[in-house]
Amino acid sequence: MDTEISEKTSGTRPKWRKVAYGGMQLGFDDNHTDESFLEDMVMNANVVKRNMLKVMQDSVSISQYLCIVALVGLVWTYTLRSVLDENSLLLLDVGLLGLGFAVLSLTGEMISLKLLLHYLLNISFFTTGLYILAPVYHTLTRSISSDSIWVVTVLLLLLHLFLHDYSGSTVRAPGALQNPTLTSCISLNASIVASVFIASRLPSRLHVFAIMLFSLQVFLFAPLVTYCIKKYSSCLHLCLSFCLMTVTLGFVYSLHRLLFVTLLGLLVFVNVVCPYWLIRIQEYKFEINGPWDEAKLCFDITD
Amino acid sequence: MGEQKERRHRILMVSDFFYPNFGGVENHIYYLSQCLLKLGHKVVVVTHAYGNRSGVRYMTGGLKVYYLPWKPFLMQNTLPTFYGTLPIIRTILIREKISLVHGHQAFSTLCHEALMHARTMGYKVVFTDHSLYGFADVGSIHMNKVLQFTLSDVNQTICVSHTSKENTVLRSGLPPEKVFVIPNAVDTAMFKPAAKRPRGNEIVIVVISRLVYRKGADLLVEVIPEVCRLYPYVRFIIGGDGPKRVRLEEMREKHFLQDRVEMLGAVPHAQVRSVLISGHIFLNSSLTEAFCIAILEAASCGLLTVSTRVGGVPEVLPDDIIVLAKPDPSHMVQAIKKAISILPMIDPQVMHNRMKELYDWHDVAKRTEIVYDCALNCANQSLLQRLSRYLSCGAWAGKLFCFVMIIDLLLWHLLQLWQPAEDIEEVPDFTLPCDEG
Repeated sequence: MDTEISEKTSGTRPKWRKVAYGGMQLGFDDNHTDESFLEDMVMNANVVKRNMLKVMQDSVSISQYLCIVALVGLVWTYTLRSVLDENSLLLLDVGLLGLGFAVLSLTGEMISLKLLLHYLLNISFFTTGLYILAPVYHTLTRSISSDSIWVVTVLLLLLHLFLHDYSGSTVRAPGALQNPTLTSCISLNASIVASVFIASRLPSRLHVFAIMLFSLQVFLFAPLVTYCIKKYSSCLHLCLSFCLMTVTLGFVYSLHRLLFVTLLGLLVFVNVVCPYWLIRIQEYKFEINGPWDEAKLCFDITD
Repeated sequence: MGEQKERRHRILMVSDFFYPNFGGVENHIYYLSQCLLKLGHKVVVVTHAYGNRSGVRYMTGGLKVYYLPWKPFLMQNTLPTFYGTLPIIRTILIREKISLVHGHQAFSTLCHEALMHARTMGYKVVFTDHSLYGFADVGSIHMNKVLQFTLSDVNQTICVSHTSKENTVLRSGLPPEKVFVIPNAVDTAMFKPAAKRPRGNEIVIVVISRLVYRKGADLLVEVIPEVCRLYPYVRFIIGGDGPKRVRLEEMREKHFLQDRVEMLGAVPHAQVRSVLISGHIFLNSSLTEAFCIAILEAASCGLLTVSTRVGGVPEVLPDDIIVLAKPDPSHMVQAIKKAISILPMIDPQVMHNRMKELYDWHDVAKRTEIVYDCALNCANQSLLQRLSRYLSCGAWAGKLFCFVMIIDLLLWHLLQLWQPAEDIEEVPDFTLPCDEG
């Protein structure tokens, strides 16, 4: 009805303007809604359209890290049951160190001789420090009962997995995107404390030293190494992840059936169920932008 | 005369923000109430206690203000207790024989609670929204849900600009026909230009705002040194205080601008005019504004305005007395350059007279009166109809809101038994001597 009247008097009535001054606009009520209402609204401008296959590929890095942590847990269990003795542990440590260096040098991180010497110096300081502190760790939790230790370790490992920064910036890799966040630092600390608790349950100081060296190597440097591999070639990254998953599942199967089922279920959940779920709920994304938004400053505020 | 008595509304204005605080919402409520009183309606204001100022006070024109004995707990808001305000709001509504409740500002908890109780008791309700909010962060999402709850049962809504109307409609899911756009106005009698322009060939740029992030204090830190470098005859006067004052002082020290940038600190409202008339240009660098009254005050004093193009600011003044710029330092410097070039063509007295025609509180009051008539003509709704409106707010939220309203209804019936309406004394109507004749 409103439009019919406006057609009849369109010659005499001035056009509606989007202004606040001048009082009530002639011929229009205050609750008049023009055709230009909400014409500056922009919907879903910054939303990334996701592809199922790409999301599944990205979720492989999460399951890769899960398998690494599972392998560390396996090594701890075998050491506590005295299946692995201290010499094989020390061999494992040296092997891992060499492997890490090989990966770093092969994937394009130009390691000059000077840099290599610098790294070796740091590593020798680190190792010496650990060796000196091993007696302290050995007797650290003598007064605490074993089941408390197992519970706390499991909880700390879960915390570590939950808060871990899977984009790979905990240890600031050259070219990593951001500075480490608070949650990634908390997760790293949780993993180190868990390793200390486990190490304190071992029979001799050499055991303690070897297991501490192993755990710290993995928790501190595995994100860096996997990041370098991923950056170098995604195909290699995928192959490595699948190998790691099969090896881990194999070992866990021989250890305990229930744990195997849990780990398998978790890997399927992370790799298949979660990407599907994410794609499904992306349809409901509704991002609204318009002239009412607070302006963003285009410069950094340096206090 | 009899007809006028029939048309007379009895309005209760509710908000956490009122005198002795000074700000956009406070000024709006005060001036609107004064103009409604002049039109012959009865207006009562309810707000929380400010320090020792608690109880009933009378202001100019017989405006009665109830300062409820609640202390504010966060940013001038009372603690939201859902049902704690029901007894006192009920008593005030019955005592003053109120016909309509008008709440202000989405951020005010007292407003939401009072509107909820008023709807339970069957009064007609109008809501005015004064700010713009986003959609993306956690605080905004919760605020919008609370707003959706209140606005699903309100009779009419008023917004202060067209951009604010779009924002409110999106946030609350209201049909746009229910939202009226009635802007604020400015007291042109108080903000008159100086009899003579400030002497000298230097140009003074005035900034009066709270020095916080939202008001663009960081933009000022970038713009002022650049302008001072380009134009040696330009001076700045900065009034206002806040957390970003330290950054401005540092900027002053770093660029040796102590004699060219004057920092006045917090300016009491009564002295704003004298600060404004000492300048030629008014600079507003806000990052978000639903409607900027400061710009109106400056224009009424005859200053040319330079502002950021955000929110509802482009709607406030005609294009020849405001220069708009993107909230970016280089664009703002360009805008100041343009303003300096058109400054000789501006006559403060002509601008002031123009502002008198463009904005008037009496006009705002008349338009608000139309909204009140509209609200009072709305049909009464049964409880089931109202509850079905709440259910449409969301899968979980709808049921929660219904539950809250049912409890409110039960508490109201309990209060009616415990403290019957007949026992509450009603305030007799009186007119001040100046109103007669």
